[in-house]
Amino acid sequence: MTTPTPLLSAAGVVKRFGSLTALDGVSLDIAPGEFFGLLGPNGAGKSTFMSLVAGLRRLDGGTLTIDGAGVAAGSAKARQALGLVPQHIALYTDLSAERNLRIFGQLYGLRGSELRDRVDHALNAVQLADRREDMVKTFSGGMQRRLNLAAALLHRPRLLLCDEPTVGVDPQSRNAIFDYLQELNRAGLTIIYSTHYMEEATRLCSRIGIIDHGKILALGTIDELLARLPFEEEVRFPATAETAALARELGEQGATETIDGVHRFRPGPRYPMSSFYLLTERHALPPRLFTSQRPTLEALFLQLTGRVLRE
Amino acid sequence: MNAILVLLRKDITLFLKDRASISITFFVPFALIYLFGQIYHVNSSDPGPAGIPVAVVNQSDNPAAARLVEALKQEKTFKVLTKFVNPDKTERPLEEGDLRPLMRADEFHFALVIPADVVRTDGIGIHLKTYSNPRNAVEAETVDGLLQKTLFSRVPELLGQSLQARARSFLGDQRLQGFDASIASAIADNFGGDEQRIREHIVAGDLGLGRIGREGGAASPTGTGDVLSRIVKIDNVQVAGAGLKSPMATLLVGGWAVQFLLFAVTASATGLFREKEHGIFQRLLSAPVTRGDILWSKFLYGICLGLAQLVILFLAGHVLYGIEIGGQIGLLVLVCVFAAAACTSFGMLIAAVSPTPESARGLSTFVILLMCAIGGAWFPVSFMPDFIQRFSKLTLVYWSMEGFSQVLWARATLAELLPTLGWLSLMTGAVMGVSVWRFNRGRIFD
Repeated sequence: MTTPTPLLSAAGVVKRFGSLTALDGVSLDIAPGEFFGLLGPNGAGKSTFMSLVAGLRRLDGGTLTIDGAGVAAGSAKARQALGLVPQHIALYTDLSAERNLRIFGQLYGLRGSELRDRVDHALNAVQLADRREDMVKTFSGGMQRRLNLAAALLHRPRLLLCDEPTVGVDPQSRNAIFDYLQELNRAGLTIIYSTHYMEEATRLCSRIGIIDHGKILALGTIDELLARLPFEEEVRFPATAETAALARELGEQGATETIDGVHRFRPGPRYPMSSFYLLTERHALPPRLFTSQRPTLEALFLQLTGRVLRE
Repeated sequence: MNAILVLLRKDITLFLKDRASISITFFVPFALIYLFGQIYHVNSSDPGPAGIPVAVVNQSDNPAAARLVEALKQEKTFKVLTKFVNPDKTERPLEEGDLRPLMRADEFHFALVIPADVVRTDGIGIHLKTYSNPRNAVEAETVDGLLQKTLFSRVPELLGQSLQARARSFLGDQRLQGFDASIASAIADNFGGDEQRIREHIVAGDLGLGRIGREGGAASPTGTGDVLSRIVKIDNVQVAGAGLKSPMATLLVGGWAVQFLLFAVTASATGLFREKEHGIFQRLLSAPVTRGDILWSKFLYGICLGLAQLVILFLAGHVLYGIEIGGQIGLLVLVCVFAAAACTSFGMLIAAVSPTPESARGLSTFVILLMCAIGGAWFPVSFMPDFIQRFSKLTLVYWSMEGFSQVLWARATLAELLPTLGWLSLMTGAVMGVSVWRFNRGRIFD
C-alpha cells in the first residue's frame, strides 16, 4: 500500500518576528481529504502557521508546499487551491451578504451565472439565503461567522484553512459550522482547523498536531495521541479538607494535579484501580465525590508541557 | 487588473452607502464655500462688513460734528448708537461716562467721542477721542479705517475749520478776515461765482473737497465719496481674467475644495487600518490579490473621489458665484485629476507612515492645515513672508491652486498648464513611491 502524496507538506518551517521564533522547525504532512486539527494555546504559533500556508508571510526557513508547488507569497496556483477563514470577521459589514460574496467570488475570477450559482449555493449552505440582501452588520455573531466561512468556499478550494473560526460563536451557530465543515470534508475537502478548544479538535479532526511555543509536540490520530499517556483513566474529585489525606497518599501512586479546586489523579502504570477504590473506602469518602473518565487531549497537553491548554 | 477594478467598485459602493462620508465630502465643503463666500462678499453688490456697533457721543455744537454723526449713521458698516436706554425704557443721549461700563458689558467694542473742542486751535487737525476694546484685530482695523475715511470724505470741512482756527491764532481775526476775503475775491474773479457765498464757505472750512468727493461717490465701494480717488487718477490695465467675474471665487472654491479633498482622501487611505483590523487583508491576500492591487485600487478610488468632489464643488462655484468654467471644462477636469492624484498620494503617505489610525488622523490634520495655510488655500501666497513663500512651492496645495487659477482665471492653454501638471505629477510619483516603499516595510499588510 502506498502513502498518498500529501496535499500540504511542511518541512522544518521556521518563522521569526525579530527575536521571537514563532515557528521553530515545524514539519508535518497533510493528506488530501484529511480534517487536520492544529491544537494549542494562544500564542503557540497556530495563526502564524496558517498565515504561512495562506502565503501571507514569507518563511524564514524550511519548505512549505501545496500539491507539490512551493507556497510563496503571491503564488497564483497555491492561492487558487486554498481558502482562508480568518480569525476575524473579514467581511465588509456595511454591504449585504450577497454583495460580499459577489466581491470575493469576483476576486477569484468568477463571473456571470457561475458566480450567481456559487453565491446562491453558499448562502443556502450556511442558511443565510433569506438574509442575502441584509447588511452584514445587522447579523448576529454566529451568522457573520457562517458567512465568513462561506466567503472562503466560493471558488471551491482544495484546502480550507480555518483559523479559530468559532471564536465568540453561540452554540447553535457553532454546531451549524461544525456540521457544514464535516459535510465538506466528507465531500473530499481537505481542512486544517486551528483551535485552542480541545473539544472542537476532538469532535472534528481525524488527525491532530499539538503545538506550543512554535513546535509540534505531538502528531497523530486521537487514539495515537492518547496512547502516549502513561494511564488509561483519570479520576477527578474535589480538593477539600475531606479529601486532602487521600490526595496526599495518591501522590505516591501516580500523578496528581489540582486545577480549579479539583484533584486530577492519573494512576501509575502498575497501580490497579481496585487499590484506589479500597483507599477511598478507608478514608470513608462517598463514591459520589469521584468521577472517572478517559483521558483527554488536555491531559496530554498537560503531560507534554506541564501547563493546561487554556493558559 | 481584475482585482483592482473589483476593489475599486467595492470602495465606491461602500462610499455611496455611507451618508456621513457623502456629507463630509460634498455638502460640508459646499456649505463652507457658501459661508465664506458670504463673509468675503464674493460677487456681492454689497461688499464689506455690516452692523458693527459703534457708540457716538457728540459733545460739540459744531454743525459739522452733527453731520459727522449723520455720515457715520449712513455707513452700513456701522450700527451707530447715540442713545442710552434707562431701565424704565426711556432714552437719553449717551454720555462719555456711560461708555466704559457699557463696553465692559459687551454692548459695543468701539466708541467715538466728538469733544466740544473738535476743531483744534493749538495746531492743525481735528480732536476726536475713541474708546476701544479691540477683541478682534481685523474688526478694530476696519472700524479705525472707516472712521477716518468717513471723517475726511464726508465731513472735510472740519479739517478746513481747523485750518481757519490755526490761521486765526497766527494772523489774528482781522487779518484772517482780510485773507479770506482776498481769496474769495480771487476765486470769483477768475472762476466766477458769488464772492460773498464763496467767502462764507471758506470761513466755514468748506474748501470744496466734500463736493469733489460726493461727485465721485458712486464709484466708492463703501458708498462714501472717495476724495483721493478723485484727486489721484490711476489707469488700471488687467492682464489676466479681464471680463471674468470673480478671482476671489476661484480662490475660495479651489482652496476649500483642495482642503476637503485632502481630508477626504486621507480618511479613505487611513481606512486601510480598518480593513487590516477586520482581517480583510488576510482574506484578500490569500486570494489572487496582491498588495499592489490593494494600493492601486485605493489610489484610483482616491482619484475618482477627488475628481467627483472637485468637479461638483466647481460647478457649485459656478452656480453660486459665477465662476466661469465654460470653454475650460476639459482643462479643469484635467487639473482636477492631477490635483486629486497628488492629494491621494499624500493620503497614502499618511497611512503608510502612521503606526495607528489615531496617529494618522492627528498627523494628517496637522500637515493638511499647514499645507493649506502656506500653499495658498486660505489666502494668497503673496501675503506671506518670503521664507514661507519658498516653502509654498513644495506643497501640492500650491500647485493645485496654481492649476485652478491658470485654468479659471488666466484662461491658460494646455501648453501653458504643462509645467504645473508636471510638478503635480512629480509630487504624486515621489510621494507614492515613498508610500509604497513604506507600505512594504510596514506592518499594515501583516
